[in-house]
Amino acid sequence: MTAGAVAALVAPVVLDRDSFPLSTYPMYSRTRGDAVTFVTAQAVDADGSASALNLRVIGNSDDPLIVAGELRSAVRDDRADIRCAEIADRAGSWDGLPADAVAIEVVTERHDVVAQVSGAASLLDRTVHARCEIEAP
Amino acid sequence: MTAAPTVHESAAPPGLWRVVDVQAPPERLAMLRILTGAFAVVYLTIRLPAFARLADREFGFDGVGVASALTGPVPDGMLVALIGVTFVAGLAYTAGWQYRWLAPAFALGCLALGSYRGSWGQLLHFENLFVLHLLVVGLAPAADAWSLDARAGRRRADREPTSYGWPIALAALIVVITYVITGLAKLRYGGFTWIVGDTLRNHVAYAAARLDLLGGDPSPLARLGVRAAWAWPFAAAAAVVVELAAPVALIGGRVRTAWVCAIWMLHAGILAFMFIGFPYPLTLVAFAPFYRVERLWVERPGWLRPARAQSVE
Repeated sequence: MTAGAVAALVAPVVLDRDSFPLSTYPMYSRTRGDAVTFVTAQAVDADGSASALNLRVIGNSDDPLIVAGELRSAVRDDRADIRCAEIADRAGSWDGLPADAVAIEVVTERHDVVAQVSGAASLLDRTVHARCEIEAP
Repeated sequence: MTAAPTVHESAAPPGLWRVVDVQAPPERLAMLRILTGAFAVVYLTIRLPAFARLADREFGFDGVGVASALTGPVPDGMLVALIGVTFVAGLAYTAGWQYRWLAPAFALGCLALGSYRGSWGQLLHFENLFVLHLLVVGLAPAADAWSLDARAGRRRADREPTSYGWPIALAALIVVITYVITGLAKLRYGGFTWIVGDTLRNHVAYAAARLDLLGGDPSPLARLGVRAAWAWPFAAAAAVVVELAAPVALIGGRVRTAWVCAIWMLHAGILAFMFIGFPYPLTLVAFAPFYRVERLWVERPGWLRPARAQSVE
């Protein structure tokens, strides 16, 4: 029994296949440079200036890992426009939405994360995957 | 109550058998049941909204674990029923009621829920260890003491002490192997550069930047931390050493406790700098298999004892 349990725990490592609850525990185990690509959603005004939303509006969750993962999957699977419409729907009834926001954009942004955390200019690249208008509730 | 042998003080032969063929009183396994059950029920309660919102998902399903047998999302009613049955079974698991049936049901329910939640594009690792522990304890005779089943006389009195010891030893071994794998993963995927380079600092900055870009509030310590670039290679080396050193916990005594303190501080650091919390080790329940946890109740403080017992003492 014990030998079988040990073999089961080690098997994902041998097979290099992450799963649940048997895992290779790859989180944060790869090397990472200071330039990182993020998928997120932002509110934009008529001039194109972007402002942050929040986790609940973007992903209907308070878990950043889940919100980021689902948004990444949506972009990867060509469903950014569907997700954008869902976000715009939630944003329309969000108290924190800037008054001049007119649309939601689902974007990929590349940042220098050390600069970003330090409060310095950090945006290296920006790609818009989907844009949808915000309708008043 | 006489002091019972710990995982590390078994009279069993040395070597591997010292770990896998141990003796323990039924109360120790019972306390492990109560601790893991209470943790999991509270965790389920807190995370209930997150599990319930899985019913809203339509796209992006990619089954992992036992959910890999599914071809797509399950009907909403089935998910709600799974959550409800798992929660009720969790209460029964903790109280030791109808344990033979409801404890495996709880463990399998948590396995199914964790698998299903991990099937939407982001495989999390917060739940792996406690689900493995629930599977071990849920299939062990952990309700032979301090349980509703024991009160009702539904227990076998003829079990060997090893029947209670080996599940505890297995749970301890799972903790050790899990942390060794996490340490090896950093060397395997990141190589030596993971330690000597800026990787850990960049991971901290990445976690903070991601939260900021998603509209969350990153840890204020992240900004302070990334400025101290010189410190991160030392922190990275310490993290890998502590994870790879997990087997020393099986030695017991102060060495075990020193390791538990070190790995707890590692998790506390991750929480402080990255706002990523692993509740099972942070609450120390993950490390319960290393200790004579029945003492939590047997040697409880006087104010927790009935007044009559205090007066007798």
